[in-house]
Amino acid sequence: MSFNLLFILFSDNPSDTLLFFGRFHPLIVHLPIGFLLLAVLAEFSTKWKKFKPIQNFIHYIWLLGVISTFFAVFLGYFLSLSGDYNEDIIFWHKWGGVAILILSIVYYFISKRQISIPVQGNAILLFGIAFLIFYTGHMGGNLTHGSTYLFEYAPNPIRRLAGLPNQWVPRKNLTLIDSVDIYLDLISPIMDKRCISCHNLEKKKGDLNLTSFSSLMEGGESGKIIIPGDKSSSDLFRRITLPANHKDFMPTEGKQPLTGDQVALIGWWIEKNAPSTGYLTALNPNKEIIDNVNRQLGLDDFNFLRKKVQPPKKEIIDSLSNNGFILNVLMKENYFLEANFSLSKKKLTPNTIETLLQIKKQLIWLNLTGSNVSDDNLKKIGELERLMKLNLSKTKISDKGLTHLEKLEKLESLNLFRTKVSDELINVIPKLPNLKRLYLSESNATEEIVSQLKKSKQNLEIIFDSN
Amino acid sequence: MSKYHNLMQKPISRREMLEVCKGGFGSLAFMSLFGVLPSACGGPAKSTLEASSLNLGPHHLPKAKNIIFLYMDGGVSQVDSFDPKPRLTKENGQDPRKKFKVDATQFDNVGKILKSPWEFKQYGESGMPVSELFPHIATCVDDIALIRSMTSQFPEHTNANYFLHTGSGLQGRPSMGSWMTYGLGSENKDMPGYVVLDGGLIPPGGLDNFKNGFLPASYQASVLRPGDEPIANISPKETIKDLQKQKLGFISLLDQQQLAKIGEVDAVESAISNYELAYKMQSSIPELTEFKQETKATKKLYGFESDNPHTRGYAAQCLLARRLVERGVRFIELTCPKVSADRWDQHGNLKEGHEHNAHAIDQPIAGLLKDLKSRGLLEETLVVWTGEFGRTPFAQGSNGRDHNPSAFSMWMAGAGVKGGTIYGRTDEYGYRVIENEVTVHDLHATMMHLMGINHKQLTFRFGGRDMRLTDVHGHVIKDILS
Repeated sequence: MSFNLLFILFSDNPSDTLLFFGRFHPLIVHLPIGFLLLAVLAEFSTKWKKFKPIQNFIHYIWLLGVISTFFAVFLGYFLSLSGDYNEDIIFWHKWGGVAILILSIVYYFISKRQISIPVQGNAILLFGIAFLIFYTGHMGGNLTHGSTYLFEYAPNPIRRLAGLPNQWVPRKNLTLIDSVDIYLDLISPIMDKRCISCHNLEKKKGDLNLTSFSSLMEGGESGKIIIPGDKSSSDLFRRITLPANHKDFMPTEGKQPLTGDQVALIGWWIEKNAPSTGYLTALNPNKEIIDNVNRQLGLDDFNFLRKKVQPPKKEIIDSLSNNGFILNVLMKENYFLEANFSLSKKKLTPNTIETLLQIKKQLIWLNLTGSNVSDDNLKKIGELERLMKLNLSKTKISDKGLTHLEKLEKLESLNLFRTKVSDELINVIPKLPNLKRLYLSESNATEEIVSQLKKSKQNLEIIFDSN
Repeated sequence: MSKYHNLMQKPISRREMLEVCKGGFGSLAFMSLFGVLPSACGGPAKSTLEASSLNLGPHHLPKAKNIIFLYMDGGVSQVDSFDPKPRLTKENGQDPRKKFKVDATQFDNVGKILKSPWEFKQYGESGMPVSELFPHIATCVDDIALIRSMTSQFPEHTNANYFLHTGSGLQGRPSMGSWMTYGLGSENKDMPGYVVLDGGLIPPGGLDNFKNGFLPASYQASVLRPGDEPIANISPKETIKDLQKQKLGFISLLDQQQLAKIGEVDAVESAISNYELAYKMQSSIPELTEFKQETKATKKLYGFESDNPHTRGYAAQCLLARRLVERGVRFIELTCPKVSADRWDQHGNLKEGHEHNAHAIDQPIAGLLKDLKSRGLLEETLVVWTGEFGRTPFAQGSNGRDHNPSAFSMWMAGAGVKGGTIYGRTDEYGYRVIENEVTVHDLHATMMHLMGINHKQLTFRFGGRDMRLTDVHGHVIKDILS
């Protein structure tokens, strides 16, 4: 029986049972920490008269400390058999723990007055035990959280004292998708945020280090985790796309999973042969990936909305409001506007439109549905260079007016429901680089025109009911 | 200064504010520039607010300007609508207690596992499964973001209704629509900013579901009910037009005098603004409900030509909702049509009950989505379809299903929502949520986010606290946003 036990203990392939018990070490180890520190404190406290009475009972605390240390040491040993932890730190942690066990056994007997040591020996021993607890405990923290854990959020001066570099600052502020590097700006940050807390140089779960491209491609104890060009054979991709309660799912242990965007991006990157560097745009990303990256990095086409614009002058607001427009500010602390004419009982005049031009820096949404806007008026409207949404539905405009809109390069949505536009669409629409949604129901557009448009602009959603 | 002035916090009079407001809820920002305190211009005034607590207007660029809330009162069964569970078919007729822990139910009449009486088919480019109950809505799945992991905290209608509508299971809090109109105002001065289209059944909990709570009284819903008059007393009773004007003028004079005496009091001011709005509604409401201008094709799309009178009724409600959106009404809720007094609450006769309800709403809702989309309105409108909780995967009695707040399905379509997506998962029985739970607070936070409101920043000081619709909970569900 004991031979079997020894065999299990010293063989290379620890059974699951040992690992099962070993995982209780982080739980159990807190007991000796508590008991022993309490015992040390109790011993020192007896210097004061009022605590003298407890002198004869402190050995019970030592006994509890000894027993719990005993279990902690063995469980710790079982846990170390998993091989998941940094061997160097384990060496010090292990022997520190054993030393604590031996010293606390000694002090147990001292406490019971069954042995005694010369003069200040007691105090030295007590300090020694306390010091060892802090040291061994700190080593334990390093094993599970990494040696930089305590300094992660420390102010930079303290970080430098500890010999760490300043806090990692993200790569320079990206404002354009063209500057995005596929590994440095996209893949690596995902690894840093979600994976390296367990997969780094010190704590290498599964023998896998994800802090650099080369170690990522090297893989871990199950071999390579990225097969360039083949995401379905890549174990990393497999694990992040498993159901969250699967035992192989990553990140594990209840840590926050990757978002849909992050997973999709990693899959796409693998399929593109997992390059270690290079501009995202050079890899021919499709619309989904571009939108994905825009979302992840906050780059959206809404970039220009981050510019500060001045509030329009009061006279202009008054004039437009008196002439039928409702002006809405669309965000806090900035003055991008919507001008809504749809609820007006007044008629749109050329003067009013001229006034609109005075706010062309601020105006991004314009709603003229059901108004008397004419083809001629569109000449001016076409100069509202920042328009993102333009609603001309249920108006009399036709191809003549449509041509004037071709300079609206920021336009994302164009509503031409129940208007008289037709063939000119083929000329004008392809010229609108940012157009995402086009409404053509009940207009003079035909199936042919629509299918031609769809061919020329892949990412454009055209809403057209053919009846 | 009146003798009550030290009890009032209002530093500027409503009259002064309305004078400078020309229209548009965004005029707020301008007004503060010109040294005048902002208010929700263009809509009911909010004069009892402290200026500093104002955080009104959109906080970030909105996707939606209006919300249409399609309320499926009573609790639609998720496993029979949008969340297929083959396990139920496999284990039909077996004792659920032997399979999983069964929570207490309202009627304590736990029957056998009950498979869905309806088949599921996959639709659209996304392949979203929808049951036979909703063949028309199924054709719109590519515009729909389905959430299968909704949970509620309350298993009973009244509390669950209050929770869904006001963010609290207790009576008396402001409803979603009140918060939205408080936060964003309303563009149309001739119409209320918050309208409830009453299909015949007010949800359990009553009109408190649509009230303003501690927000100023002008933010409560206006309820339109089909009948001779869409709103009671909307047509003037006076035979001489001027007579009504004189009467109202006199009342207004008295009210102003009262205001001058006691200072600004919400009840009086809201009453004044209500009179003014009501006067305008005498012409705007009849125009709204006049469907003559709508084409035959449009009416057919909604279901006006259906044999089923309930479908026709709900079709009219949906068309009305679209027209309200066109007229700038901020929040529109449709209650459940009066197919039966049970609403969707099929404790018995699941098949018959759900089928009758589905038949009434399926085509009109699909028609609404399609019509909004053609007109380019869907990109500015958020359509929300939800009940207050789900139903049990095991029977109540022999052929019903009891309440299940642990998991239910709902969907959203329109502005800023990623169509053709499914968010969240329930277990194999459709009983509990196992992935990506969405609480009612999360739903509210997301709805507000799409309207441009940061749910944590829209507050109102009451009882010494800065209250929110989402209380201290809720996070925006980013995965379903496009």
